[in-house]
Amino acid sequence: MAQPILELRNLTVAFENSGREIRPVQDVSLSIYPGQTLAVVGESGCGKSVTALSILRLIPMPPGKILGGQVLLDGRDLLTLSERQMRDVRGGEIAMIFQEPMTSLNPVFTIGEQIVEAVKLHQHVNTSQAYKIAEQALHDVGIADPDKRVHEYPHRLSGGMRQRVMIAMALSCQPKLLIADEPTTALDVTIQAQILELLRRLQQQRGMSILLITHDLGVVAENADAVAVMYASKIVEYASAFDLFDYPKHPYTEGLFRAVPRLGDSGGRLTAIPGAVPNPSRFPSGCKFHPRCPRASGDPLCANTEPPLREIAPGHWASCHHIEDFAQKPITRPASEAKRPQGSLAT
Amino acid sequence: MTETAVQTMAPSLANDVTGRTMRRWGARLGLTWIVLLVLLAVFAPFLANSRPLLLKSHGHWSSPAIENLTPADVIIQAVFWTTIILWKMPVSLRTKILIELAVLVSTTIGALVWVHPSELVIYETYRQDERAGNVEKVINAPIPFSPDDHQRDLEDAQLKPPDSAHWMGTTENSADLASNMIFATRIALSIGFISVSIAVVIGVIVGGLMGYFVGWVDLLGMRLVEIFDAVPTLLLLLCFIAFFPRNLYIMMAIIGLTGWVGYAYFVRGEFLSLRDRDFVQAARAAGIPLRSIIFRHMLLNGLTPVIVSASFGVASAILIESTLSFLGIGLVQESSWGALLEEALGVGGTFYWWIALYPGLAIFLTVFAYNLLGEALRDALDPKLR
Amino acid sequence: MIPTMLGITALVFFSMALSPGGVAGPLLNQVSRLNTVDAKRVREYYEKRYGLDKPAYVQYARWLNLISPIGWRPNPDGSLGGFGFKWPSLGESLGRHRPVSDLIEEFLPVTLLLQAISIPFVYGFGFLAGITSARRRGSAYDNFVGVSQLASWSVPTIWAGVMLIGFLANRDYISLFPSSGLHEAEALNMAFFPHFTPQGWQRGWLLDCIWHLILPVVCLSYGGSAFLTKLMRGSVLENLSSDYVRTARAKGVPENFVLYRHVLRNSLLAMITVAASILPAMLGGSVVVESIFSIPGMGKLGVEAVENRDRELVLAITLIGGLIGLLSTIIRDVLYAMADPRVIYD
Repeated sequence: MAQPILELRNLTVAFENSGREIRPVQDVSLSIYPGQTLAVVGESGCGKSVTALSILRLIPMPPGKILGGQVLLDGRDLLTLSERQMRDVRGGEIAMIFQEPMTSLNPVFTIGEQIVEAVKLHQHVNTSQAYKIAEQALHDVGIADPDKRVHEYPHRLSGGMRQRVMIAMALSCQPKLLIADEPTTALDVTIQAQILELLRRLQQQRGMSILLITHDLGVVAENADAVAVMYASKIVEYASAFDLFDYPKHPYTEGLFRAVPRLGDSGGRLTAIPGAVPNPSRFPSGCKFHPRCPRASGDPLCANTEPPLREIAPGHWASCHHIEDFAQKPITRPASEAKRPQGSLAT
Repeated sequence: MTETAVQTMAPSLANDVTGRTMRRWGARLGLTWIVLLVLLAVFAPFLANSRPLLLKSHGHWSSPAIENLTPADVIIQAVFWTTIILWKMPVSLRTKILIELAVLVSTTIGALVWVHPSELVIYETYRQDERAGNVEKVINAPIPFSPDDHQRDLEDAQLKPPDSAHWMGTTENSADLASNMIFATRIALSIGFISVSIAVVIGVIVGGLMGYFVGWVDLLGMRLVEIFDAVPTLLLLLCFIAFFPRNLYIMMAIIGLTGWVGYAYFVRGEFLSLRDRDFVQAARAAGIPLRSIIFRHMLLNGLTPVIVSASFGVASAILIESTLSFLGIGLVQESSWGALLEEALGVGGTFYWWIALYPGLAIFLTVFAYNLLGEALRDALDPKLR
Repeated sequence: MIPTMLGITALVFFSMALSPGGVAGPLLNQVSRLNTVDAKRVREYYEKRYGLDKPAYVQYARWLNLISPIGWRPNPDGSLGGFGFKWPSLGESLGRHRPVSDLIEEFLPVTLLLQAISIPFVYGFGFLAGITSARRRGSAYDNFVGVSQLASWSVPTIWAGVMLIGFLANRDYISLFPSSGLHEAEALNMAFFPHFTPQGWQRGWLLDCIWHLILPVVCLSYGGSAFLTKLMRGSVLENLSSDYVRTARAKGVPENFVLYRHVLRNSLLAMITVAASILPAMLGGSVVVESIFSIPGMGKLGVEAVENRDRELVLAITLIGGLIGLLSTIIRDVLYAMADPRVIYD
């Protein structure tokens, strides 16, 4: 099996908030292989965005701190790089796009100027060549008349188009990995589908990897090869997309699936997970999910000891004390196109 | 929301805001200075008076200071002590205000009728008596000079630098500077408070009318606002000042008249945004008069920027009055800090540093205090920082 | 714009009319120093000449007629001549017995010069202090700048002026600067640039002017720069935490490029918006500074006009003040439209 293009090993990030330290990301490990899409799923506040930002070291360091772990890009630990070297990585080898296309572009510069800025930072070209590259990038993301569009200001474009511009900008320097932090959450459903399809196409063309952050299980089902489920700063389940959807092992994942309606359901109430996501400053002791977990019910082991992330089936990891007891029937997976072959998730 | 619910909400919001403001060092500093000024203003006749507080002469006791208090002094004392007594008492705010008003009115009437300070003012007699040895026991005020005591019994007393007798030196007409400064505190505080109150009242009314009635009322109001806004404040003031007599009350009214625009903007904005809110539509559909919703809710939201602005407004009013008095087109009779400052630069380029330092410092510290208070209030009321 | 101007003038005129003593009261009071017969004659002359005996609205109408380019031409004795085009006139100053427009021609440029010199300092200082304290947010430097900004904003101009003159322009202390006027008397005979003469080094007109302007400009600028510092800092901080800055950093843009290219360009908008309120405030400050430093500008003229209740002059000065205020609003709007690509004006 090829080496992973990006590997996170036991990454822990802390923030200082008026004297108290909170840890939105604890002991997170995952791997992304070349050409693969890894989705990180979780509710708001679980730490997935912080994880993504930490990869590029975009967390503001006075309140934030990386307490431990490694971020290996092709074997190089990004956490040991100087700021200058890191800047070369950003936009160069790893690019990132964000959730809010409306505000993510500088309103006083044309989109051409902004893409050219990215190009010139990572490639030795002059301005007119950079503009050519920018126009090509716009063309690649499906924007018509790129030579005219390139001189327009962001406020003239719709949300979907702006996100395409963001993608064009991110991809203009041929990164090996694209981090997409909820790229379609702020868009209409139809535009959402277009953007995701665009990303898939570009990925196939370029052999690029994608780290897709989302809270939408539908998006995961359509786009991911592998999935990591995060809850309250930790990874609770980690498997290929097939395995996760067919055989979820962690009670949280199960709960998520049970809460999603499916075609062909006979009706009746959706089962929500009782309780609410805990605040990072007040994480429960032991297993962070135990107050809401149907398997925990008063078990002192769940309340006092954090379950480790164990490989409970080949390529399938979960962190729960009660896995074997509760082997579930496979949940029918949602109708989706046949996916690429699974990669292994050895860490 | 029911009446009682809203009323209980209001005091706790006020407490909440007060608590948050007080936590800032700026507010504490500013408020300390302001309280100091208030105390100076209230007790001025006891702090700086050429007349002794207590005198035993030719065998009998008297208190010339107290006997010669002006009606204003008496009223101020009455109101002050009433406020202190009522401060911690568990009575409702409404009752407290009523009691204050009652005390104010009755003392005013009483003072005007009964309090008669002597018409003729000859301060020198007290000092002459003392020097002549006619006095058995005397207790003087800490600063034994009234502001209008021109020390006619002493030669060459004018424009003296600070010494043991005159802690802040003397002015152009041989008066004690410290004494003048203390009494000028009254002017500063009253101008600040009353001008801003006038401005707030005018602003709230005009802004409220504009926001409530909209249509042509709003258009007219906006023209008015534009007019007052276009001319630089000081020039506008020059204009008004030019044509009216220079007394304290007119000055307050004029400063208030030039400052109402900002408050009108806030109130109008609040009213306009309230009109469109869903809960207002719902309440109207239920038959509740628009008036009571707006006033009740506005009290909680719309007045907050007004309060912040008012603190800065007081600073600004004090600055304006000082500037005008300094330029010679402000108050004529009473000496305010600005008027005192004007004497610092004498003829032929002489510089009397004490006359520049103390009054100027007083203006600066007071303006700074109100600005600090305003900043602290603004931070405390900013929803983003909650 | 015109209705606002008219409104301003109406406001001024009628506040004059309402005042005790009516229009030009003090002027007529001077008259009372003469003996009664002469006084009566002079008073009658004034009243006939300037129409002071007529009711306020008539006087206002006459004044409007005077300043409009179309109207009845006024005759020297006070009656009205033919109707048609005419030069708008601002009337004649009652106190100085000169046409108001002459006075304005003489005094306005001085004030404008003072403003023009001060504005770059205000903006330059505000920019620098604001940006540097935003970069070092939370540091001791930032706190220091914050407190001193509020403190300097609170320093009354009158105090600053008095202290500066008293300590820096005084023969008893340090006599570094001149305390008054725009030029020394000899300056009128000096060449423009500094040069050497047989008698030694001569300052030259230009340097002399600058030397005289240093203290007044300091006095005029410190308040505005304090204000701008705070504004700039706030704007930079706000922009630094915006989404597009996050995107720029994710692209690999170096941090100071982020600041100077992306953030500053957006903060510029805030600076332009505020320009419209800085100029009127500085005009007000100019009144004080000119009076303290005896600089012959509009502010000083205004104070004098107020003291004399010189009707025509007060009206003209208020009008000009309002005009400048409105003009700065227009300039601000134009600059903003140029700077912000999101704004479309048709």
